[in-house]
Amino acid sequence: MRAAYVRATALASALGTDLPKAVARLLAGSAAAPRSLIGRPYHAIPLEEGDWWRRARSIAQTVAAELQRDAGLPAARWAGIPCVVGSSSFSIGAAEADEAALEPPVAFCRALAQCFGAGGPVLGVSTACTSGLSALHAALDLLEQGPFDDVLVLGVELSNRLSVAGFAGLELLSPALARPCDRRRDGMVLGEALGAILVSARPAAWRVAGLAAGVDASSVFGPEPGGGAVAAIMRAAIERAGWRPPEVDLIKLQAAGSPLADLAEARAVRSLFAAPPRLTSLKGAIGHTLGASGTAELALLLGALAHGAVPPTAGYEMPDPELGLAPCGGDGSDARRVLFNLSGFGGSVMALALERAG
Amino acid sequence: MILLAPTLVELAPAGLADAVRARFGSELRRVGAFTQICQLGAGACLDAAVSAGRLGVLLGTVRGAVSATRAALGPLRRGEPSMPFTFIATQTHLSGALLAQRSHEVGRAACIYLEAQDWPWLLRLGESWLGECERVAVGCVEEAADGKPHRSQWCLLVRQAAAGILCRPGGAGEAATTDDWIARVAAGAGELRGGQESWRFTSHRGA
Repeated sequence: MRAAYVRATALASALGTDLPKAVARLLAGSAAAPRSLIGRPYHAIPLEEGDWWRRARSIAQTVAAELQRDAGLPAARWAGIPCVVGSSSFSIGAAEADEAALEPPVAFCRALAQCFGAGGPVLGVSTACTSGLSALHAALDLLEQGPFDDVLVLGVELSNRLSVAGFAGLELLSPALARPCDRRRDGMVLGEALGAILVSARPAAWRVAGLAAGVDASSVFGPEPGGGAVAAIMRAAIERAGWRPPEVDLIKLQAAGSPLADLAEARAVRSLFAAPPRLTSLKGAIGHTLGASGTAELALLLGALAHGAVPPTAGYEMPDPELGLAPCGGDGSDARRVLFNLSGFGGSVMALALERAG
Repeated sequence: MILLAPTLVELAPAGLADAVRARFGSELRRVGAFTQICQLGAGACLDAAVSAGRLGVLLGTVRGAVSATRAALGPLRRGEPSMPFTFIATQTHLSGALLAQRSHEVGRAACIYLEAQDWPWLLRLGESWLGECERVAVGCVEEAADGKPHRSQWCLLVRQAAAGILCRPGGAGEAATTDDWIARVAAGAGELRGGQESWRFTSHRGA
């Protein structure tokens, strides 16, 4: 299998449109309180601008500029780079104001790719909350088969009422605050983000050591309560990386503050690890950004680890004895092997194994 | 890579509910029209192909779940609460979970949005998925529009050994879109092109 690396990252989220500043806010524990969208708390990107499209373009251009700086590729190289976009809502926010704006999702993906100067093939991927990691998975497929050496991966979820109303209708949202792994957790808080990752065959700081995906058939609404499906995918990612569970230094949990899904993930972790490694969840800080969460949380996590720090878990204060997990921020300078969990509505379960290169 | 059981299911919107009831015993209403159309095509393809093992479900579409999306937007615009099952029906990736519930071990499932002329990317991705799955069901699915019926085109990719249609990249190729590629493959058309690449299809007797 061809080696793949995370060459560059950029992010717009509720923590801001500048990744280094967002990481600083995350590590300082100074995440902004959620705003409100149709009466529900919502972690919005702090950017007010015109109509939906103008704002989307502005966000994309800001993230693109940051990614291009971080990647350091000559402009001409971007012209042939494919772009894979993961999302669960694409440009539905624009259609909420004007149904005539309802367009094929790939048209939105192409518009985003153009903001980044990526002139290669464009694909959209939807697997609900795991869409961003599914996009990364598809990018690895493209890298593996060639002729591409770099693939742009975007996870995007921009303000729309449909997602909030849909998850509210399914009674999966908290009325106030996401509290991942906390005893008082009562649901998710959604958020918006555009996370950009440039994956490359050329060596960089973090290598993709393994990625596993599967489908939890027990229900489209949530994971199998015993955590068996999540554990199987985590185990598969660890095995593909050539690791053993005790060699994992850090797990970025899916944990979104959902009473049952957090419990299923905790059972999965406990079944694999006699003594769980350090744990963190990022959804308390930026919300559950659905199809963007794969790339958004990856950008934040690697940004924090570049500072030698494991991010704190915003919203987690009171341990839940039933979970038996205690997310904890702090020194992460020795974290070399990271497991990154995501799971989502519709049964998609994924785990990404990342290893510090060199 | 061998392509098995190229399958085209077309039906008028008015016939969808009856077709789904006849196939599955109930209407699968909660998942909406798009996933029902997927299930009819994928089910027919998997019935026709003699195969076993870990399954990938790789679904391509240009427009996605348009009818459910329009149905969900109406109440939102009127300030009314959205019905949960209408929201669920807007999700296009549910076929993997439904096939898994029907006793297939599903290893990987995704809905890919692409432009119609880029359909060969599905074969390219499917070939890669065969590294993780013993077989990959590849579908192109569109809801009825512009006087055309619902359309659910599927085939099953396996690595080798089975008798079927051998797929290889390359060749000059005649242009095809998602509208017609599976019918052309089923008819034994030699080479098809789309997006940036071409595929050759030849008969394969099996090992």
